[in-house]
Amino acid sequence: MKKKNRNVAIIGSGMSKFSSHREEVNQPELIHEAVVEALEDAHLTMDDVDCVLHGNMELFEMVHQPDMWHVLGTGAWGKPGVRLTTGGTTGATLACAADNLVASGLHDVVLAIGFEKLEEGHATGGITNMADPLWGRSLQTGALTGTAAQKLIEQFGEERAKNAAIKMRIIMDEHAMRNEKAHRRLRLDRKYMKQIATQTPPLVGELRMIHMCSQSDGACAVIFASEDKVAQLGANPAWVVDHETVHREETLIFNSGKSTHRVAAERLYARNGITDPIHQIDVFEMYDPSAWWGVDWLGDFLLCESDEHVKMVENDQIAIEGEFPLNPSGGVQASNPIGATALVRVAEAAMQVVARRANTRCRVM
Amino acid sequence: MSNKKEGGPELIVSRQILSIAQRFSTGPVMGRFLRELRDNKRIMANKCPKCGRHQLPPREVCALCSVEATEWEELGPEGAIRDYDIVYYSSPDPLTGETRETPYVLCWAQLDRTQGDAPLWHLLNAPDLSKVRRGLRVRVVFSEERDGTMGDIKYFEIIE
Repeated sequence: MKKKNRNVAIIGSGMSKFSSHREEVNQPELIHEAVVEALEDAHLTMDDVDCVLHGNMELFEMVHQPDMWHVLGTGAWGKPGVRLTTGGTTGATLACAADNLVASGLHDVVLAIGFEKLEEGHATGGITNMADPLWGRSLQTGALTGTAAQKLIEQFGEERAKNAAIKMRIIMDEHAMRNEKAHRRLRLDRKYMKQIATQTPPLVGELRMIHMCSQSDGACAVIFASEDKVAQLGANPAWVVDHETVHREETLIFNSGKSTHRVAAERLYARNGITDPIHQIDVFEMYDPSAWWGVDWLGDFLLCESDEHVKMVENDQIAIEGEFPLNPSGGVQASNPIGATALVRVAEAAMQVVARRANTRCRVM
Repeated sequence: MSNKKEGGPELIVSRQILSIAQRFSTGPVMGRFLRELRDNKRIMANKCPKCGRHQLPPREVCALCSVEATEWEELGPEGAIRDYDIVYYSSPDPLTGETRETPYVLCWAQLDRTQGDAPLWHLLNAPDLSKVRRGLRVRVVFSEERDGTMGDIKYFEIIE
């Protein structure tokens, strides 16, 4: 992707409070929290919004046509819109689609909304139903697998790999402690790293409860606008430079070369002059469904060839105060309302660049 | 069930259970694979005429070369573990609604004569979890009663 008729920026975002239980609100009310905050952030009203994108995974709540049921919360009444539902990537797909809709000239202002209320369904059961109904369904256990742990243990030895995973989990929790909207704020203490790792129930192989992301309720809303609109509104923009989507048959073909993540990162960097991602990127919001995947995927996204990514965890480079802050929000390990989760990454990245901007033009990819 | 906040009104939560019967068409390619399992206790993979890679379970087209994979070959029934998962979390089996007994072991076994990376995914019967490791030799055990589903394979067993 990078065929833009015009530039696109994020000019506002909002999030609900993330929690395991939001029984005091129904689905439209939960969405409404995020939408109101995004509109306020962008100094807009629904009258300024041309198109509303809705994203979640229907199979979690088993409520179909949710974009229609949620109109009171989304504000989409009478407006054009699209419903997107692409699993854990739903939120990122929303951002890509919103960027495309504005860049193409179809709409000037697009509101993208990601939502999930996982307490109302069964996330692991839902994810299991994404498996091939003829072969995988009776085997799959949602998104739980210990294979990333096995891979890291094989690559870096048992002790080093296990320490890196739990260290990443603790750093993510330290970040979540600074984010009042995060779901799991556990106050994990580095002093008890070993105990934290071993005194939590095993899920699959070396993947334990503490490593895994939460099941959260929550919504996120992000407003995308054209360059003309940004100027007209005097908005504070985070420019959307590029995005990349990759499909590969990775679950069926083992070791088919590079991972999907690495292929996506390589293409994105090549188009955007990034030759040294660790030094050229200031802050990274990553979809890290577990601490094990977090460590492994960090290496893929940063095109590491040996153990640079493990060292970045070991020496606190990924902490907020480190040289390469990863997920200042606490990331997916702290909060995971699935249909919103990837859009939260985009919203957090936009907030980071807007807040950090001096005179340079900051970019979101 | 209700959620009554102190001093506030009762907030009613409605509990429901959804149960849906489903049937899936298998098509000529996956259908042939399942027929061979059921009728002949054979594991048949199709093969890409361009790269020579097997696909297991078979798919119509080679995912890498985008050409129709029309040749068929029998693989296994013995092979070696490529990857495995020891599952402790008890999740519902979507086919039955029953909660699964734990721990159980899933494995991806590369069957003998497989070209490329196409391990078959199934349960591993492993009474001693400490013995499970990559590279372990295993064989397919077929179910006594077969109906053209993945249950026609009972599990992999470890070759002692």
